[in-house]
Amino acid sequence: MNGFSLLFGPEGWGGLLLEGAIVTILLAVTTVPFGFGSGLALAVLKLSPNRVVRAFCEGFTTFFRGIPDLLSLFIVYFGLQALIDRASKLAGLSSAIELNAFFAGVIALSVVVAAYSSEVWVAALNAVPKGQSEAAHSLGLDSRKTFFLVLLPQLIRIALPGLGNIWMVLLKDTSLISTLAVIDLLRAASEASKNTTRPILFYSAAAAIYLVFSILSGLVQSNLERRANRGFA
Amino acid sequence: MKAIKLLALLGLASTLMASAAGAKEWKAIRFGMDASYAPFESVDPSGKIVGFEVDYANALCERMKVTCTFQNQDWDGIIPALLAGKFDVIFSSMNITDERKKKVMFSDMYYATPIVFAGQSANKSDDVSPAALKGKTIGTQSSTIHANFLEAFYKDSNIKLYPTQDEPNLDLASGRIDYVVGDGLVEADFFEKKGNGCCRVISEIKRVPGIHGPGVGAAMRPEDTDLRDMFNKAIAEVDADGTYKKIEAKYFKQDIRGKQLTN
Amino acid sequence: MLQTLYAEAADLFNFEMMSRYGWRLIDGLWITAQVVTISVTLGFLLAYPVCLARMSRNRVLSAAAVSYVTFFRGTPLLCQLYLVYYGAGEIRPLLTDLGVWWLFREAFVCCIFAFSLNTAAYQAEIMRGALASVSKGQIEAAAALGLSKFRISRHIVWPQAFIVALRPFGNELIAMIKSSALAAIVTLLDLMGQTRFIFARTFDFLIYVYAAIIYLVIVEIIRRVWGLIERSCSRHLIAATPATHSRGQDESRISRAGRHGLSHGGSPQSQGA
Repeated sequence: MNGFSLLFGPEGWGGLLLEGAIVTILLAVTTVPFGFGSGLALAVLKLSPNRVVRAFCEGFTTFFRGIPDLLSLFIVYFGLQALIDRASKLAGLSSAIELNAFFAGVIALSVVVAAYSSEVWVAALNAVPKGQSEAAHSLGLDSRKTFFLVLLPQLIRIALPGLGNIWMVLLKDTSLISTLAVIDLLRAASEASKNTTRPILFYSAAAAIYLVFSILSGLVQSNLERRANRGFA
Repeated sequence: MKAIKLLALLGLASTLMASAAGAKEWKAIRFGMDASYAPFESVDPSGKIVGFEVDYANALCERMKVTCTFQNQDWDGIIPALLAGKFDVIFSSMNITDERKKKVMFSDMYYATPIVFAGQSANKSDDVSPAALKGKTIGTQSSTIHANFLEAFYKDSNIKLYPTQDEPNLDLASGRIDYVVGDGLVEADFFEKKGNGCCRVISEIKRVPGIHGPGVGAAMRPEDTDLRDMFNKAIAEVDADGTYKKIEAKYFKQDIRGKQLTN
Repeated sequence: MLQTLYAEAADLFNFEMMSRYGWRLIDGLWITAQVVTISVTLGFLLAYPVCLARMSRNRVLSAAAVSYVTFFRGTPLLCQLYLVYYGAGEIRPLLTDLGVWWLFREAFVCCIFAFSLNTAAYQAEIMRGALASVSKGQIEAAAALGLSKFRISRHIVWPQAFIVALRPFGNELIAMIKSSALAAIVTLLDLMGQTRFIFARTFDFLIYVYAAIIYLVIVEIIRRVWGLIERSCSRHLIAATPATHSRGQDESRISRAGRHGLSHGGSPQSQGA
């Protein structure tokens, strides 16, 4: 069979590749709020006056930034399950809570992304002048309002380039989930190439789709940065 | 800060996706398979797992009056995943060995196929003794009986272990490795798919009792004895009413039931 | 209670596993070291021409360089590795005709090939950013003083670019160490490969933790050593502008996230953002 019909024919693998691509995007997009959110939480805690909290957060970041992402995923994937089992046994639950592979992947990616993004958030937190929150307080805003109305919008503007880079990392790191039997884009290409013994065709197709995602992300990112920087020459 | 806490909680709640495993009446059984083992189990272009063991499992489930779902799981992690409760049964051409019995519990054997050495067609030698294969590269899937067999008897050969069986096959076809050890029917299926007569089955390996075991069974968590009893009953029933023969005929020309090789 | 704790601890360290398989980790570490050193070096050598092409006024050249960099930074390394490893198998007749099949036969070579091409793309961007960071005025001033092109680049541009590039290069090295773990997926028994091997035998998840600690220690050592090198190379700058050594700056030194990142690496302009 020629390459075209292997991809687009009725018995072709294009459909699976497309489904895989959707899974890849879903993995990445689902990870964003958890990963970036917990990254921000980590960053805030890293600036906390409590030394123990600070040390714990620094340790967490150092650990997950210092080991291969593939290893982080394995550790979270298998370790988390063992931890949940133990915890549910301790809590006296008769049946263990079970993680499905997709969400285990999301958690694992979130952990990695949280570790990476906390650095970006810390830098951003340091870059917002103290005067801003002092001014907000003296205007009578409580600390919650100060954070969400005054600090966060500025943080996001400052952190955007860094977070954009991490998004790119994340997009490509989703491919590591393919080793955990989630059929993402790369896994779909693997299945297709094993079944048809045409690896070049399918891995190139997968690479092309990743490339489109990356280029689109780049465009969205610069657009976002432009919007966020309105009013800043 | 409250909002962050809320976000974190929300994340926890939605990601844990609590689904209680093993409501002990077994209305639904989750099967774990390494779907890179055609014709026994593989992924089709629509992303579904298909193959002999899927059809057979469905027949068993019909007998057991349970609904069945199939999950793809890489071989290296398949026993840990079973023990971690990610599914209830490994139904993935897993040979019944004493080593595995330490971790999991097996049903009765439901098939036994020949194990073979395969090589390139250009390789005319039929000698696959350890002496003849000294210094040669032999590939197979890791954590399998084949890997254990090679490590026990082919110490002077260069053994390469792959995550799935498809990968050594691809490397055999490309000439990256000299031999593959694997299931005879899986190898035959691959060579047919590959076409162009790249490779051939060289010779059958006699099962070594301590390494290969008698054949393939379904693996379960040791505590699920009720589930094993259900399986054994269903296996016997599906044999008796001729369903096994029908499914077998759909995939193979030869008999693979292998009753003669009981434990 | 004490006994349970003791059992837990024995469980935790699993000395039996380590005495049986520990040497495998050392073996794996050696392979990892080889893969990383060779890939980063080859990548560096390749990055220079790519960087020159990228900055060249020749449109075809620079477009080719941009495509190269975009492809290797825009797709997952694992996908590139599969493409090289299984792709080489598919086009074996061609490679045999070219007389290079014996090279691509080896998983080790395939890994080095893929990793070198990949890191070259990142390193080229680092070089470009560093070279661009040297202000035009300096070059013009040097030219006005009558310095030759070679001497300008040797004495004016490179020493300054080197200092700017040092930090992203260190990050790239660390990123490469981390991504070299992917080699395990194509049968190479590097540190990660051996770890998976041991896990498949023992099903003891702790082996992953041991591997993590080894990677962590290596990465931390490199980070510290790199910090020392950087400090000694840029003493004059730090002394002149102590204000730049704020916490935020210090953090950004290590914040280049993983290799796949479309970089802080190389575009120092964006670091201050």
